Amino acid sequence: MIPDIISSLHGSFAPGAHSELRAQRSLARRVVLLSGNLVGNTRADSQGVSARVYRNGVYGFASAADLSQAAAKKALETASHNALFLDERVKPGKGALPGILSGSLPRQADFTDVEQKRYLDYVLPLDEHIKNKYQHLTSRTVVVSADSMEKQILSSDGYAAHILAPRSYIYVILNAVTDTGMPVEVFKAFGGRGSFDTVFSNPSDLHGEIDKLYDHLMKKREGVFAQAGEKTVIMSGDLSGILAHEAVGHTVEADLVLGGSVAGPMLGQMVASPLVSMTDFAHTAFGETAPLPVYVDDEGVLAEDAELIRNGKLVGYMVNREMGRHFNMRPQGNARAFAFNDEPLIRMRNTAIHPGLNKLNDMIAATEDGYYLIQTNNGQADTTGEFMFGVTIGYEIKNGQLGKAIFDTTISGVAFDMLKTVDMVSDKLSWASSGFCGKKQPMPVGVGGPELRCKVTIGGK
Amino acid sequence: MTREMKAANLALEHMKNLQVEDASVTAATNRKTELNVEGGKLTLLRTTLDHTLALQAIKGQRRGTVSGNSFEEEHIAQAVKDCVSSAEAGQPDPAWELAKEGQGDFAKGDFEPDLDKLFERTKELIDSVHSEYPKVILEQVITSHTARESVYRNNHGVHYNSRSGSYSVSLMFSGHEGDKSSSFNGGGFVTYDLSKPFLEMGSVRQSLKDAENQIHTVATQGKYEGTVIFTPDCLGGMLYELLGNFVTDSVLLDGTSLWKDALNTQVADPRLTITFAPSDPRIVNGENYTGEGFLARDYDLIKDGVLKRFMLSAYAANKTGKDRAPNSGSGFIVKPGDISLEDLIKNTRKGLLVSRYSGGAAGTGGEFSGVAKNSFLIEDGKVGQAVNETMISGNLAGMLKQIVGITKETVEDGGSSLPWLAVGGITISGK
Repeated sequence: MIPDIISSLHGSFAPGAHSELRAQRSLARRVVLLSGNLVGNTRADSQGVSARVYRNGVYGFASAADLSQAAAKKALETASHNALFLDERVKPGKGALPGILSGSLPRQADFTDVEQKRYLDYVLPLDEHIKNKYQHLTSRTVVVSADSMEKQILSSDGYAAHILAPRSYIYVILNAVTDTGMPVEVFKAFGGRGSFDTVFSNPSDLHGEIDKLYDHLMKKREGVFAQAGEKTVIMSGDLSGILAHEAVGHTVEADLVLGGSVAGPMLGQMVASPLVSMTDFAHTAFGETAPLPVYVDDEGVLAEDAELIRNGKLVGYMVNREMGRHFNMRPQGNARAFAFNDEPLIRMRNTAIHPGLNKLNDMIAATEDGYYLIQTNNGQADTTGEFMFGVTIGYEIKNGQLGKAIFDTTISGVAFDMLKTVDMVSDKLSWASSGFCGKKQPMPVGVGGPELRCKVTIGGK
Repeated sequence: MTREMKAANLALEHMKNLQVEDASVTAATNRKTELNVEGGKLTLLRTTLDHTLALQAIKGQRRGTVSGNSFEEEHIAQAVKDCVSSAEAGQPDPAWELAKEGQGDFAKGDFEPDLDKLFERTKELIDSVHSEYPKVILEQVITSHTARESVYRNNHGVHYNSRSGSYSVSLMFSGHEGDKSSSFNGGGFVTYDLSKPFLEMGSVRQSLKDAENQIHTVATQGKYEGTVIFTPDCLGGMLYELLGNFVTDSVLLDGTSLWKDALNTQVADPRLTITFAPSDPRIVNGENYTGEGFLARDYDLIKDGVLKRFMLSAYAANKTGKDRAPNSGSGFIVKPGDISLEDLIKNTRKGLLVSRYSGGAAGTGGEFSGVAKNSFLIEDGKVGQAVNETMISGNLAGMLKQIVGITKETVEDGGSSLPWLAVGGITISGK
């Protein structure tokens, strides 16, 4: 745990200016086994302090790779100087930010930064098991990825906190070839919030899930190309979660709204089927701790849920303090920075479409001709809401039953058009949290959703 | 002796004391000065100071790597300990290798930022966009200067010292008219100096103009095979996707590359030559030495359509029995062709001019399908309206053999020099 170097520096803040101080340590550990070759065996640490000062509508920011009070004071001084530089030239004249609640959160529990040997002791037998058990693999990759952020946050008028956020994952990628020699690949991420020793205990715990993954691969070997065009599909929770994040979430980040996103003129309008509701959860969702809980953000704002879509109607944006003032919305804890030397940006936390009332089996049975899309390898969207996801595991649906697996394909659409076609929503919510969202800085985020039946454009032959 | 040299020497000394056979250290300091524009307005001045201490230890043919950002003695000692214990926990692999010779001192660009000039150029860009492209909203612009002082040392006596300063600019914007808007567009470049307005650098002006013309779009009807002209901005991404699938470490190590046995064979149209040339004068901050300590050299990856090299590290080269690449993929240059962009468009009967591709990662077979973003219809030799919800699909390897033309004109962004490249036989489909 990093030493407390900033909690006593409240007196160093200049009167009348909103200021933030942050001390941070970030850890990343990684092991990569590529067909049994240990090609990655790395540990990365990064630590330092940063300060941000607001002045009349502009910010100054400064940081140093040094965890000391002297460095914190120096950063604060430089950030003030930087804010002054911009204020004098830009002259935005916006005055002070509206006040927020102040207080202090209790320090969160420490975690164990396990030795590299612990990762290797887990993953080497797991890789050996995969190699020995599955006969039709042409190659395999097993990756351990564990990271954490520890932050001490102090702001001139918000909440102070000392937070720790570790997460740990194992990725398994399996490759084979079809009878015609075409390579096929599937992957799955296991794990979640917590240090490696609390998330993973025995490699055999994953064997059942890897059996299922291999089964998908074998079916994909016998797969067919999807038929291109607009189709009825059932998206798994993994896909609907990515959709919630990429195609809807980004368009309702207030900085992107200001930049001209499609959501700008749509506040208060129906943007989805009445079956669709969506929230960016802060720390608790549907009575359980969210995958990557955020209790206070890097502006010192106490975190609460940001409701985005209620029964199909767009009801809110995600804001920071500055954008909150611009759009007359209450900041809810979305301003987060990735590294110690990054400034807080408006970021999602745990963004999910709410579960509905349907059962997956009934959804499949009710679909005459379509696809069940299970796994995605990436997703992109732009501020028009137009999105694209790669699909790596999927099946045909013919006459209400699952058919053949499909080869890799791409789905696309326009979020606020596509969400209006949703006519069934399953009662099961699934979360994923292994990825990073990219927006100037990376950021760990949770995404979640139920199965959705809707219409999208699917690529293929 | 600089702080970086002291840190590197100390770390190397600790590694030697722990009986590491092969050890390397990179110690660097980065100072960044950055201006941010949000929603068309300057909002942030950010100055950061960071260090890098990157260690690599190979002990008993086992390798571990550690990185940190502190030059304090106790942190260096701990980082070395972690690095060696990580190596000891790994598996032996005789393929790990560090350079046995090499030295050099490198200096590029201005080490001190000219903040007043950077501010002036950034403000000039905002004002120019406002007056010349009034339909464009600048969602985000980041302009910065980075000064880097770096040393590399390994236990075989290889040592490099480098010092560089450069400016970079990245933009994200979209065109707007009433409630209609284009997809986001963007771009960027790296440069050693601030002598030219940012609007005149790279493809910035063209992309802004395109954004205004992409507000109103038409749907693509049905499905057809046509010609796609990739702009330089889009071509780089497509080619990187292709190279990642066919010539890099991971796909050669696991044997999934379709080109694994294609060395010295024709993999592309004879007009295509791809070079990685960090020493090319058009390249800013080209690589001086590789992560394994080898002095970086220019090389042809594909020459006249023939695959001449793989992009392999020394480790992957040793594992596969192939040659190590002379650099790590720095200075991406596609040789220009002999036709003008105007004539290339005139020669296109039906297809698309594609400025951005948004697609899923292509599978190991090279099949790709994705959305053609910021793209225009081409019909009967003329560029028409921008298109919406249009997908393109094909095969990355097959695409290189279906090249229709490569332009004389190129765009330089400091990291690459790329032409417009046209490919036939691409499946283009609408809703």
